[in-house]
Amino acid sequence: MTSNEDSPSFDSVQSTVRDEPQPTPPISTAAAVAVSAGAWLIPGLGHILLRRWVRGLIFMACVVAMFIMGLAMNGKLYGAEFEIPLQIFALIANLGAGLPYLIAKYMGLGIGVMTSESYDYGTTFLWVAGLLNFLIVLDAFDIAKGRKP
Amino acid sequence: MSLSHIDALVAFALIVSTVFALITKNEPREQLRYGVFVFLSFLAVAIAVGWIMYPLPL
Repeated sequence: MTSNEDSPSFDSVQSTVRDEPQPTPPISTAAAVAVSAGAWLIPGLGHILLRRWVRGLIFMACVVAMFIMGLAMNGKLYGAEFEIPLQIFALIANLGAGLPYLIAKYMGLGIGVMTSESYDYGTTFLWVAGLLNFLIVLDAFDIAKGRKP
Repeated sequence: MSLSHIDALVAFALIVSTVFALITKNEPREQLRYGVFVFLSFLAVAIAVGWIMYPLPL
């Protein structure tokens, strides 16, 4: 036998549900992949397309700022040169930044000045900018599929 | 661009903790709390490891 005090009132349940962030209705896998591709190419675009404006703009600012700081610190952007096979991991990390990487490569930036004292930091910043964007892309995919609010 | 070690550390920790907080938490208050925790953890661990390595002949 249960009393009314044992179970939450209808008002409190309604309030709890209303306060929780509501997940996006899941979209098709093809559309989610398209959103993810956009999120990879332009950091933060995936969240913006999913109407997470603030989150998307903050992501964009973070990734682009880290990428620019990496370039400014004379970091190296890796290309498709495979004399040292393990460099492919550095390339994958760099590629994560998307369009900023492609633009910087096209402009001949990121040659990497090894004599600069900030070379290692700059290279790490460039890697981490790309790796963070991979996480952001996965987050956008999860939101698009309705797995998280 | 010339940053000191600590400047680079703070910039790195700030950006990474911001992204981690926004990805892993949904509520603004949780995001703030987690972001501050990750940021301070980055600084604390880096400074602690720096002092541990200080006497080593590297």
